[in-house]
Amino acid sequence: MRLGLVIDLDTCVGCHACAVACKQWNTSGTTGPLTDIAAYGAEPSGVWFNRIRHYEVGDYPNNKTVNMPMSCMHCEDADCVTVCPTGASYKRKEDGIVLVDQDKCMGCNLCAWACPYGARELDPVDGVMKKCTLCIDRIYDETLEPEDRQPACVITCPAHARFFGDLDDPDSQVSRLTRERAGQTLMPELGYKPTNTYLPPRVTRPVPTDDVRRKSLISSVKEWVNQAIVR
Amino acid sequence: MKALPKFEDHSRQDTRYTTCYMCACRCGIKVTVEDNKVRYIQGNRNHPVNKGVLCAKGNAGIMKQQSPARLQQPLMRKPGTERGEGEFEPISWHDALNLLTDRLAKIRSTDPKKLAFFTGRDQMQALTGLWATQFGTINWAAHGGFCSVNMASAGLYTMGHAFWEFGDPDWERTKYFMLWGVAEDHASNPIKMGIEQIKRRGAKFVSVNPVRTGYQAVADEWVAIRPGTDGLLALAMIHVLLRNDCIDQAFLVRYTNAPWLVVDTPGQKGHGLILRDKKGKPLCWDQDTNAVTDASQVEIQPALFGEYTAPDGRPVKTVMTLLAERYLNAQYAPENVADRCGVPAEQIERLALEMAHVAFKETIEIECQWTDAYGRTHDRFVGRPVSMHAMRGISAHSNGFQTCRAIHLLQILMGTIDVPGGHLSKPPYPKHIPPGIKPAREMAPNTPLKSPPLGFPTGPEDLVIDKQGNPLRIDKAYSWDAPMANHGLMHMVITNAVKGDPYPIDTLILFMANMSWNSTMNTSQVMDMLREKGEDGEYKIPFLVVSDAFHSETVNFADLVLPDCTYLERHDTISMLDRPISEPHAAADSIRQPILEKDRDVRPWQEVLVDLAGRLKFPAFTGEDGKPRYTSYQDFIVNFQKEPGIGFLAGWRGENGDQDLRGDPNPQQWEAYAKNQCFFVHHLEDSQKYYRYCNQDYLTLARHAGWVGSTDPIVLELYSETQQRFKLAGQGLYDGPCPTREEHKDRLTRYFDPLPIWHPPLEHDRVDADAYPFHAITQRPMFMYHSWDSQNAWLRQICAGNRLYMNRGRAHSMGIEDDAWVWVESHHGRIRAQVKLIEAVEPDTVWTWNAIGKQAGAWGLSADADESRKGFLLNHLISELLPQKGDGLDNVTNSDPVTGQAAWYDLRVKITPAKPGEVGSWPQFDQVKPLPGMAVSPSALRYQTHRAVNLKRSLWDVLMRGKHRR
Amino acid sequence: MHPALSVIFFTVLSGAGYGLFMLVAVLHLTGSYPDASSGELQTQLAVALVLITIGLLSSSLHLHNPRNAWRAFMRVRTSWLSREAVLAVAFYPFALWYAWEVRATGGDVGQAGMIMGVIAVLLAGLTVFSTGMIYASLKTIRQWHTALTPANYLLLGLALGGLALVAIHGWFVGDDPLLGGIAIALLVLAAIMKGIYFLWIREVTGPTINTATGFTRAPVRILDPGHTAGTFLTREFGFDPGRQVIQRARLGVFALGFALPILLLAWVLSGAPAHWLTLALISALAGIGLERWLFFAEARHAVMLYHGRQHT
Repeated sequence: MRLGLVIDLDTCVGCHACAVACKQWNTSGTTGPLTDIAAYGAEPSGVWFNRIRHYEVGDYPNNKTVNMPMSCMHCEDADCVTVCPTGASYKRKEDGIVLVDQDKCMGCNLCAWACPYGARELDPVDGVMKKCTLCIDRIYDETLEPEDRQPACVITCPAHARFFGDLDDPDSQVSRLTRERAGQTLMPELGYKPTNTYLPPRVTRPVPTDDVRRKSLISSVKEWVNQAIVR
Repeated sequence: MKALPKFEDHSRQDTRYTTCYMCACRCGIKVTVEDNKVRYIQGNRNHPVNKGVLCAKGNAGIMKQQSPARLQQPLMRKPGTERGEGEFEPISWHDALNLLTDRLAKIRSTDPKKLAFFTGRDQMQALTGLWATQFGTINWAAHGGFCSVNMASAGLYTMGHAFWEFGDPDWERTKYFMLWGVAEDHASNPIKMGIEQIKRRGAKFVSVNPVRTGYQAVADEWVAIRPGTDGLLALAMIHVLLRNDCIDQAFLVRYTNAPWLVVDTPGQKGHGLILRDKKGKPLCWDQDTNAVTDASQVEIQPALFGEYTAPDGRPVKTVMTLLAERYLNAQYAPENVADRCGVPAEQIERLALEMAHVAFKETIEIECQWTDAYGRTHDRFVGRPVSMHAMRGISAHSNGFQTCRAIHLLQILMGTIDVPGGHLSKPPYPKHIPPGIKPAREMAPNTPLKSPPLGFPTGPEDLVIDKQGNPLRIDKAYSWDAPMANHGLMHMVITNAVKGDPYPIDTLILFMANMSWNSTMNTSQVMDMLREKGEDGEYKIPFLVVSDAFHSETVNFADLVLPDCTYLERHDTISMLDRPISEPHAAADSIRQPILEKDRDVRPWQEVLVDLAGRLKFPAFTGEDGKPRYTSYQDFIVNFQKEPGIGFLAGWRGENGDQDLRGDPNPQQWEAYAKNQCFFVHHLEDSQKYYRYCNQDYLTLARHAGWVGSTDPIVLELYSETQQRFKLAGQGLYDGPCPTREEHKDRLTRYFDPLPIWHPPLEHDRVDADAYPFHAITQRPMFMYHSWDSQNAWLRQICAGNRLYMNRGRAHSMGIEDDAWVWVESHHGRIRAQVKLIEAVEPDTVWTWNAIGKQAGAWGLSADADESRKGFLLNHLISELLPQKGDGLDNVTNSDPVTGQAAWYDLRVKITPAKPGEVGSWPQFDQVKPLPGMAVSPSALRYQTHRAVNLKRSLWDVLMRGKHRR
Repeated sequence: MHPALSVIFFTVLSGAGYGLFMLVAVLHLTGSYPDASSGELQTQLAVALVLITIGLLSSSLHLHNPRNAWRAFMRVRTSWLSREAVLAVAFYPFALWYAWEVRATGGDVGQAGMIMGVIAVLLAGLTVFSTGMIYASLKTIRQWHTALTPANYLLLGLALGGLALVAIHGWFVGDDPLLGGIAIALLVLAAIMKGIYFLWIREVTGPTINTATGFTRAPVRILDPGHTAGTFLTREFGFDPGRQVIQRARLGVFALGFALPILLLAWVLSGAPAHWLTLALISALAGIGLERWLFFAEARHAVMLYHGRQHT
């Protein structure tokens, strides 16, 4: 099993709902609390597992704005795990989720250095590294309704731009979407084999206009007079 | 798989449903509570509005509840201190309400208009309006006048419903969606869900907006229009449709006033009015009989186009003739508007034809038997799947009413209103055009008004002016300055009251409105006005009551602070009498119920209102024994009936709770709502879902439910006779009140028109465009849109300081580099801000996030918070009055001349680089003092509802695992 | 990358210590240490061990949860940091045994002592190599992800060690052409290597903002990183002192780290008093400290592409 997220850049409007839902769930979750520093002061800064970045592609007027939510990619070849000296960081055999055992971390930051996606953030008060757990405390909680056994970010997304599932299962919705929409991973050249996949913006269908364009344009009201339409 | 630890002890948790209040979407939420603390707020999957999803604000509800800015207790300005100094002392609710009751009773028994009661982002206008009506003051309104009255009015005067709360695109079926001027707002979740739905289906999504962020980011095509020219763009597209004969003539004949005859006697009284028979019925030209005939008949063949002579000898033309004559004119040709709009002619033409293609070549037909309002049955609904949505970018200009009308006209000409795939109304809409309520004018001591303070005028005789033509309302709504100001002009209240123009008032009550900061124009001077005293040493506004849940900048100016509770601590109704949560095919309303116990000495504002109403002995709130009729807000909601069987809540009515929409009061109604996840939905039958302005089954239901007064068909008004009556008044050709002052005559003549017009935004005509070359606009970020919550500890991490966004190429051409500090100057003032250069804005526009800037010390924020050092408000640059020119308009509101809608986006500015060393936002204000009893804001937050249960990795695994996991 | 002072201290001091230890032990074991007195050997080894120990202690200062520092020995299978920790600790018993024998025998160590010395030298070299590999193994930082990184760490450690060796020797005996020659050679080699490194990192390779975002057919720019204040990521990775500072620092590295020590060495070798070598050592420590600061300051982490950098 290779659990992960598929994110649709065609519909993500960059609203930050997923990021805040994540914050909300996980501050009381298995690696909580997610400390916030200077919460009401200058330079407020806290621990987040999911951040939304906004980019511009192309130059005006041919520019497009792209919103890109980013959280742990749960890489196949996760260097953050490889470099961890204590064994706090690990990738679960069962489902590929990359986790940090909060009791084992010594806060050396090396895993964050090894991650090109910015998925790991140090909790300055606890002194340990925290990151997306793929809501492991939701997805296996059998007391929740089946549709609630998904990461908080997926459940909340108003643009339904987030999908959760097993990318090893070719019949899963996430695998299907990846195939059909030519999903791609970020910075593949680093060779980390990220699990999370991004669906690129769709290509718009062309709307024909020839069939409604008149050859001789109407220039006067007189051309319409005397048409019979029953009310 | 190894067993996982038990992460949560669900037996210690309780899950309850209520309705979100972080913005005006009113999403259903499911709240998990642990030890009276919120564990998790989740969207309610069954809820008609959000269907399980929830936005960033909704997800940040925990931090709203945790906010250190929550007011703790009622407060009085400390005797001997000046207003605005922020010196307060606690007062008990008992004393506060006695004091307020005495003051209000005195006003009510002498001159009720001396009370002005204005509310902000509340969702209880049915109650506050009723309260004002019963008090007997016409000086009441909510914040619509500075928000979206242009949209509501244009819609209601054109098609009986409107964008947003009164209507939605048919997300399920539309194939072409055009979004006009939607600044990441209005609405929040429903639009996001809708856009995703249409993109998944392959519909085309076109966005018209000077800025490409938010929803525009995912648009298939971006039309980078110049602010304030959308109306011209819409009219140019109408030009293209007409030239190519792409209009739905059958639709126009059947459902609109297109075939009605209009008297064509320029310069004479009665010109431009609809030709009517003796009973007042509009007439059309019957092509069978070649004579005028009652236009409301069916099975006739009315001429859509043509010039005729009325039986009384006057020349007449059909509405459609006037319309086509106007818009076929070359002034509306794409090539002639392209420069002004900043949109290439080719693109304008193509977009119009693309819509025409979808409307006419990709028509949808739904087989379904339905009966029209004339009793004829049809076997299908024909749909033209082009839809639109528009909001603030249209609304916040002084030409917004006409622009919104132009967009509706575009929709109607293609036959896309309330049809499958088009723009659908939401119950209780559509209403007859316009709704039949007139604004109240007469007041008397201790007497309720005869009608609500706000209504829908249909001509000058409905204005709220005295015999000399002077405004009667403190905000001058329904005066010659703003004749169709259907939501009032909240943004003028302080200025007018301080000037005593039209008269001084005694008490101003503000609820949930930040009128000394981001919700007012001209912020700096408005703050001074609130402090201003007359020669007698008395404040110009003698008594200011503020009710709010948080320590806003406005609370600082209050004489009496009545602390409200948060949305998780209160009962509320989102009522069918007000702005319900209906969806196109379902009438729905909802409630809030307390999720958490209050931990402060605060009261819900509506509870206070019901209490005050009883103390002041309002007739509707007083029993026959002279005692208060209602014991509480909940009691009021259950038992108050607007008309027999119709109350605030439409669900579970009747003694047994088994009646939908109409029925006797049900004492168990709150419980029934609570049991049903706090909302009620009445689904429409298939036959009631479309063409509702002319759908017998629907109109019958609507009359039963009290949504409309009759089952007569609602005729869509391409041609607005109301507009023409005001125009005639301006020309002195109206049989009724006419203005006497030249500037009023000029404005009525120029800006009122029965067919949509475009004129430059008023500020553009009164300032030198070369001196102020940029348009300056704002939008709210999605994660803060409409929220009362900028201080939210999570949301402010996303944005605590705003930038002035400029087009990169344009800035470089001016020598302005990224991150530079610049001066932004308007005709009215100047501010300093830091730029961010981007591609996603058309070159003549600069923009920023609104309401990020905060006064130091307000909202529980520290003195050095980014919001006060880096954040800034454009409000300082916007005058509440038109730019001064030394003419009669100097004292006229900076608003739409039709509706009084605040013209926020008319602003023009110049930009100059700041000198070296000039950094930080400017102006800066004194730090707001903390309130008594308020805790110091914590530095580090470590919120959690229980100790985390760590998932441990075994030592064996640590030691034995190699590089690869398998 | 944000240059952490504790890490700069650690790598410079322990690198110098390991370098000194290796040079002393190799010269001593091969019998080529000139004018070796017991006292001098003991002092050389003691200084090396003190430098190493201060460095190691300082390295623990950058841990945010030092209670778990002991766990750093657990993951030698994959983690270079873990390997470094294990090697660093493993070095001590051998090094101390060897040093104890030097002290006990007055420098004439037996076979066991020699074996201990050889092992200690190997472990010292491997430790410094591992330190280099911690950085070199990070694919996220192209300026580090190169064989030049461990080579630099080794050479700079040896060069500092060589300078320390000759300086201490200077206090005991005076200048010595062999030791001076070794020190100069190592400094020159290290300088060349550093020069190669600076040339090598000039060529921009690897991920760009385009590959980071997946939009490769048009320019990509950041509109908003999703937060207006700094985050852990921007504080840790967002350090950028600017071109000018970097140029000056590079100049400082070559001037203080290499040129001045070499000149002083040459001057002493040509007859100047040997205590000038101490100044050479201090200068080199400052220069290599600057080099280590630059090593971080010039490292451009890939995550900054997501924050708007065009390339690493």
